[in-house]
Amino acid sequence: MAAKFPDAEWFLALGRLMESEGELFRRLGYAEVRFVIRIVGDDGHAERETAIELDGYKLGRAATLDNALDFDPDFTICATAAVWNRMLSEIARDGRPEARHTLSSLALIGEELWLESGDQLREDKYYRYNQTLQEFLNLSGKLPR
Amino acid sequence: MPTVQIKDEARIGTDARIKLQPSVYLEKLFQTGTPDLSWMNQHGEWGIHAKPGNLGLRLKDIEIGSYGVIPNHGGEHRSMAPRGAVVPSDVPSLGFTVNEKAECWADNAMELYEEAVARQWSSARDIPWSELKPLPDDLEHAMCQLCTFLTEVEFIAADAPTRWMSQINQDFLEVKLFLATQAMDEARHTDVFRKRALANGGGLGKASALSQLSLKRIFDSPSFSAQTARLHLLGEGFVLTMFRQGEFIAPSRVDSEIFRRCMQDESRHVGYGTMHLRAQLNARPDLADEIHEQLDDAESILLQLFSVPESVEPMAILLGGGLQHFDQGMEMQANLWRRVVNEYLQRCDSAGLDRRPRCLLPTDFTKLFAA
Repeated sequence: MAAKFPDAEWFLALGRLMESEGELFRRLGYAEVRFVIRIVGDDGHAERETAIELDGYKLGRAATLDNALDFDPDFTICATAAVWNRMLSEIARDGRPEARHTLSSLALIGEELWLESGDQLREDKYYRYNQTLQEFLNLSGKLPR
Repeated sequence: MPTVQIKDEARIGTDARIKLQPSVYLEKLFQTGTPDLSWMNQHGEWGIHAKPGNLGLRLKDIEIGSYGVIPNHGGEHRSMAPRGAVVPSDVPSLGFTVNEKAECWADNAMELYEEAVARQWSSARDIPWSELKPLPDDLEHAMCQLCTFLTEVEFIAADAPTRWMSQINQDFLEVKLFLATQAMDEARHTDVFRKRALANGGGLGKASALSQLSLKRIFDSPSFSAQTARLHLLGEGFVLTMFRQGEFIAPSRVDSEIFRRCMQDESRHVGYGTMHLRAQLNARPDLADEIHEQLDDAESILLQLFSVPESVEPMAILLGGGLQHFDQGMEMQANLWRRVVNEYLQRCDSAGLDRRPRCLLPTDFTKLFAA
């Protein structure tokens, strides 16, 4: 059975695609960033968290996060399952999310998706590497369904 | 042996005003044929084996041994002799005036330099210009006015820091390298917004005396750190949020690509500025007053800038999705204003500057409209 978002295996599959699409990511430039994808429940609490590390032009790590203290992310991207699923559906349909549903646009408004970080400088990596992060998720459109 | 053909070779030097005199060394070499090789005994730390990491040989990989020691005081010779080389006693000074590490350093300068080099892009190649489609007049007018503003302000972040770049002691090379990438980034931003204004049936809009005043104050800053506060912390932080809004408001994929790529560049500049001020304020806490005074003035001008129609209305039209949704656009702008101020103050916190009590920027956008 194919792995599903936000399973670590699902991100590992994106990582394999990232390496096979190496030229795209090389052209964007390297990214060194560690972050958490958080699925937020209706009660506002974290339902699931996956730790991701991009190491240059490849996925360095993807693992289910049991203890945030073990990982020390630059930032955590928080959204409900519905918001994540909408983004992934649009990617599956068009290869990319609609302009107002990109990582950057959603974080700008900060209502449906928001960032958590203890340090504005580390949070700024979200913007420094934003196109790489978005293209990484956009690879999900190429996963078998 | 094949020779290079040089045009009018016989005429070269016939009118020269200075007579060539071979050096003592060259005469000796000519007579004896024996190389001198004394330079082989004059070198910095020897036997260095810098090892590339997984992303190649980066600056951080060569910061090893004595070469990795960044001095607190730049070399007294004030020349461009490389840090770590043997420096002759007779090198002429270039008159650098920024000679203390704390006056320019940021711990992330190396990282940001390498990242900037790796993440360069071309406005001609990487923007899908062929996908540009005609927009309704109100949206095109708004986008062109925004592009006019951005074309107007972006190059200050090349012109102003590079004035200081030439004053920075060469021992702080990493900072100069980073500032050079910033200049290149700003060149690209200037060109891409000018191109966008001229590419879709519109054109440039109205320039602004207030924008020019804010640029002049940045240009005339009394110190590099003062300039950094005005430029990197407030100015570029503000523009960074505009770029983030840009992707959200983009009426086309062309526009969203432009803004997203510029946003990535601008984040590096803000990151440098914040870390530089942190280093400077750690070393010289007494400078906080000077930085506050700079920001008092810069915030005041920013508020004035945000009080004229050509600044307020294009963004509201773009945020709302058209003139008919102007009110919605203004509401969104109010929410985003709060974010601008919050992020600016958080960066001040990161820099070690307690700006909150003194900040002139209201967190509530409506306070811009009524006292």
